[in-house]
Amino acid sequence: MQLRVVTPAQIVFEGTARSLVAPAWDGWVGVLPGHAPFLTLMGEGPMTVETESGDRQSFEIGGGVMKVESNTVTVLADHVATG
Amino acid sequence: MAGASEVKRRIKSVRNTRKITRTMELVATSKLKRAMDRMLAARPYSDALNELLRGLHAPGLARDHPLLRRPAETKRAAVLLLTANRGFCGAFNANLIKEARLRLEELEAAGVETELHISGKKGLGFFRFRGTPVASSTTGIGDNPTPADADGLVDPLRAGFEAGDLDAVYLVSSEFRSAMSTPAVTTRILPVEPSPGARSVDAFIVSPPPPELVGRILPRYLRNAVYRGLVENAAGEQGARRAAMKSATDNAGDILENLTRSYNRARQAQITQEIAEIVGGAAALE
Repeated sequence: MQLRVVTPAQIVFEGTARSLVAPAWDGWVGVLPGHAPFLTLMGEGPMTVETESGDRQSFEIGGGVMKVESNTVTVLADHVATG
Repeated sequence: MAGASEVKRRIKSVRNTRKITRTMELVATSKLKRAMDRMLAARPYSDALNELLRGLHAPGLARDHPLLRRPAETKRAAVLLLTANRGFCGAFNANLIKEARLRLEELEAAGVETELHISGKKGLGFFRFRGTPVASSTTGIGDNPTPADADGLVDPLRAGFEAGDLDAVYLVSSEFRSAMSTPAVTTRILPVEPSPGARSVDAFIVSPPPPELVGRILPRYLRNAVYRGLVENAAGEQGARRAAMKSATDNAGDILENLTRSYNRARQAQITQEIAEIVGGAAALE
């Protein structure tokens, strides 16, 4: 699935991901390819992404919104620190 | 014809001016590059957020959230004008001020009470000089605007709209089409215009429930609309300044050329006259 992580200031990540675990406002959310259309508020915490090559990347999310639609995940984060 | 020494003095002065305008052009070019990078980096988020918000227009939501309120008639509107803190950028500020005045006149002609909010010394200076009441103003936003700057501008307006004191909020800023074209435009940021192609929110699993989610997204949308205006303005200002300073530098070059010609002519005239005097003096001795 396609993943795009953007903040008001930049594009943090753009590419293909196998899976991701993200902090939603009320707990953790895992997203795999083929997820149903989904819209949620994000909380604060690390978002872990398993990329196409199997690497794990972690982003420290500071709130925002996540949208999942037709196998495309868009994370609109207020701010992100890469870790 | 002016004496050679006076022309020389003018040449010196124009050359100094050209030095300054050329430096300003170079500074603006490098600032423009950075401002454009920031602006381009801000666009994906802005586009994605706008697209997302369009999909959120669900019937009934307008009743539930004060920010989605759609007043039947506009009684009081706010105009937020973004200008630069500095001049020497051609008609950039003048265009923005003109657009804001036009908007205010139009609203007042329609019987709408208006209030004016200004960011930037240039806009503030103009309206203060004319004696137009300014509801709020800030001159603290520099070449590198942040989302927090946008918050500071939009928060009071949002609160006013939520409380029902304001029925509409307009943003006057420049749209950065290219470094040469930065027209002033007005965008209505409140009330939020539902897009005709809006997808119903029902197609999504939504968490938290739509009213609360929308309540959290809308402030981000507003902040982003103003932030985008700020970064586009910052880039537009530098683009306009570069163009203005380039033409000033070119003009100075033309003036220099003419002055140098006058100077040479004056000098030559002086030499010719001296020779004529010497020849005349020698002829008188014979």
